[in-house]
Amino acid sequence: MKNLKKLTISCIAGLFLSFSSLFAGDEDSVKVGILHSLSGTMAISETSLRDVLLFTIDEINKSGGVLGKQIEAVQADGASDWPMFAEKSEQLLAQDECAAVFGCWTSVSRKYALPVFEKYNGLLFYPVQYEGEEESPNIFYTAEAVGQQAIPAVDYLLNEGYTKFYLIGTDYVYPQTTNIVLFEYLLSKGIPVENIGGGIRYEGDVAVSAGNYTPFGHTDFQQIVAEITDFAASGDACVINTINGDANVPFFKEIAASGLTSDDCPIVSFSLSEDEFRSLPTKDLVGHLGCWTYFMSIDSKANKKFIKSFNKWLKKSAPDYVQKEGRVTCSPMVLSYNGVYLWKAAVEAAGTFEVDAVIAALESGISFDGPGGTVTTQANHHVTKNVFIGETLEDGQFEILEVMENVYGEPWLKGTF
Amino acid sequence: MYRNGFSLLFFGLTFLATIVLYGNSDERGPRDVFVDLILADKSEQSALIEEMNEFGDPIIAKIYEDWRRGKIFSLETEASKEIIYIDERNNCYSLLTGEVLEYSEETRENFNKERIARALRKQFKGLIDTLGLKSINAKTRIKSAIKLGRSQKAEYIEPLEKRLAIEENAKVKAAIDEALAINLLKNGNETQRLESVNRLAELKSIAAKDFIEKILAREIDAGKSNEPLALACSASILTIESHIRVIEFFGSFFRGLSTGSVLLIVSFGLAITFGLMGVINMAHGEFVAIGGYTTFLVQNVFISIWGIDHPMFGWYFLVAFPVSFIVAALIGIVVEKGVIRFLYRRPLESLLCTWGLSMMMQQGFRLIFGAANVQVNNPSWLMGSLNFGGFSMSFTRLLIVALAILVVFLTWALLQKTNLGLHIRAVMQNRNMASSLGIPVSKVNSMTFSLGCGLAALGGAALSQIGNVGPSMGQAYIVDSFMVVVIGSVGNLIGAGLSAMGIGMVDQLLQPYLGPVMGKITVFFIIILFLQWKPGGIFPTKSRSLDD
Repeated sequence: MKNLKKLTISCIAGLFLSFSSLFAGDEDSVKVGILHSLSGTMAISETSLRDVLLFTIDEINKSGGVLGKQIEAVQADGASDWPMFAEKSEQLLAQDECAAVFGCWTSVSRKYALPVFEKYNGLLFYPVQYEGEEESPNIFYTAEAVGQQAIPAVDYLLNEGYTKFYLIGTDYVYPQTTNIVLFEYLLSKGIPVENIGGGIRYEGDVAVSAGNYTPFGHTDFQQIVAEITDFAASGDACVINTINGDANVPFFKEIAASGLTSDDCPIVSFSLSEDEFRSLPTKDLVGHLGCWTYFMSIDSKANKKFIKSFNKWLKKSAPDYVQKEGRVTCSPMVLSYNGVYLWKAAVEAAGTFEVDAVIAALESGISFDGPGGTVTTQANHHVTKNVFIGETLEDGQFEILEVMENVYGEPWLKGTF
Repeated sequence: MYRNGFSLLFFGLTFLATIVLYGNSDERGPRDVFVDLILADKSEQSALIEEMNEFGDPIIAKIYEDWRRGKIFSLETEASKEIIYIDERNNCYSLLTGEVLEYSEETRENFNKERIARALRKQFKGLIDTLGLKSINAKTRIKSAIKLGRSQKAEYIEPLEKRLAIEENAKVKAAIDEALAINLLKNGNETQRLESVNRLAELKSIAAKDFIEKILAREIDAGKSNEPLALACSASILTIESHIRVIEFFGSFFRGLSTGSVLLIVSFGLAITFGLMGVINMAHGEFVAIGGYTTFLVQNVFISIWGIDHPMFGWYFLVAFPVSFIVAALIGIVVEKGVIRFLYRRPLESLLCTWGLSMMMQQGFRLIFGAANVQVNNPSWLMGSLNFGGFSMSFTRLLIVALAILVVFLTWALLQKTNLGLHIRAVMQNRNMASSLGIPVSKVNSMTFSLGCGLAALGGAALSQIGNVGPSMGQAYIVDSFMVVVIGSVGNLIGAGLSAMGIGMVDQLLQPYLGPVMGKITVFFIIILFLQWKPGGIFPTKSRSLDD
């Protein structure tokens, strides 16, 4: 009786409030939320994650669902508008009662969603490389922490014999935090301050900002490239690039025009994956480096199967609004994919969809063999995974140079070196 | 008799040739060593690298590069292991013999990509660099020399000296000279080091500055700060630093010129539509984007006709300029006839209306070309830069400077030297008076507006070489464009030119000290102060009209 009442109420609520919750009353299904920007400036990147999440849910449903229930995806559009992420989170948790939510791209959108998830005791899986310094009890970060992207990349460069590092990024929280952590790390590795380029700002004796920063959508990199050329004149120099979005195009065009090649001075970029290469002149990027926990070029059975079934899904069962031509896979996509499977495994281990039980199961260490290798959840809500370093090829793929296996995800790195 | 002798000689030569050829094919070449290296264990690799070092064949660099880029595969059969190279067109070759190999799709599935281990890559690096010194390409020789110098390894002194003795190209010679001096800084004896320090000061070598500073620091630590070496070091650092300052100054000057040209070329159209006609054209940025997208389309036409590697492809960029101008000018006429002509007396409505137009055009780009940016390739003749004395200017930037000058000159000529220009000026000064004197005002209005739009698109075509082409590319320039026109005094083209150059210069001169973010803020602050001082811009219009 009580169930029936709940069912009718949710049916009515669904009818009035959200089209997607029309079928909410179905006993055999469980709802999960997809919270990404499907419009606005971030839509280019985030729709790919929406697509891969729909694919993953279809795949799981076809193989019998979770605990015998079919997963039903509720899409919410954050519209590249950060307060909207808080609003939509509230809708997904309070109204649709989603068992888990997969989403957010920019750190600022996550910061808006975070208090809502803590208030309603929800569960969010966050899939995009980020700056760390955060550990919410209601968020699982399948993303690369600084220690799983920036630090391994710097380790690799140090090993290759590079001794001068130029830091450049877009002026917001992720590049600023990452670069200050890297600055501390480089000093701890015996790199003298004068070999770290881009400028360091001190408050008293404490460095508060390291590197050169440009506004979003900056177009004129002449001065910066001239500085880099001087910096690299004595050899063994490299550039750590945390420029975000399409400002990378004028940057790399200016680099290419200056005659500085990846041989003289490699640039390792943390915000450029295969998906971004679709709209970048890859010719100018050949030979420069990338560091992620997944590359499309990984030569493994699991990865080949993943790419094959994703393409098959695109062709056969994807909804009409999903772009079908020229698709690639990249790290944020695979981390989204892993997130859904980790959640599935945790639900099955806990035997319930109850958020507290699922979080406890995740904290105890759940493993999943994903396209990028095995990933394991940790008690600190991050994920142990493999890290790959690759060199950009002309076709927008990475040639893998180095694999670091089972790197522990540690969000609190500032001030530890 | 003679005949016999000849045939004997001929026979003998053939015999010899056969022996030589046979002997050659039996001898191990770089290809054999590569195959062995790919199959070898770690312990055997060093010996094989040593062997590779003997050859000095340019093919080594090529095969190494392909190996590094993941183009070398292996196929294991019961009998043996074949090493295969796959080229861009997906043809397979045997690495050992260079022969074409045919494989079915199923066999190709079993190919294993051969990866190169990091330790091996490092060993190869030195090998490839010394190899580059023997290259026929002068640029490769320079690069290789610089690397060998910077590595400061004693074993490279000999190849550098050898090459210096036979090198004919003056630029390469200078590079080897510099490299040798840098190398000797570490590996030479006391007198050699002193000589090198002096030599590097003479060469004004920026690359050497760090190395000399290191020596100086070491000498001072050792308490030898008054010895000749330390003194020479300080002197040479001073010379090099003053050289860097000179380059920096000219560099900033040129960068300012180039930034100014970019500003000028995107804002000159606005100087006409807003400056002369008084239309607050918020859709100006989208006309810039039309130029970018037209360039993209022209490029695609060239690719579909000739392909991207054809020499003709590079000329698409020159074709793109007139086409962009015409396309945007035509759209401009439509916009003027459809919207703008009703708004000449109502500037505020024109602001709102063109803003709406700008959003419609952006959405139009998204629908036609997709939300992602499109890729415009640089033609090969625009790649690279002009270098003199450590200071470089890229060809794309030079082209934009030249284009800006050309656009200013042509617009000036059009306005001052032609009948149409006379009509335009008359109409812009007083529409009613011009009309009563028999000038076809509505026609002149459309022509002027479409001229402004065409110029905006020229800017967009030029920008496609240095930045993004996407639906919102115009938004990045609209504020700057208005800024230029307002500072240069609304309605004054020379003023627009001067203000664009001024803003560009100030921006680039401040950037080294303040960084891009603070630099931009400071530029805005200076502009506010300037407008307080001169509210009418650089050349305020003197008018007897009551409005002004």
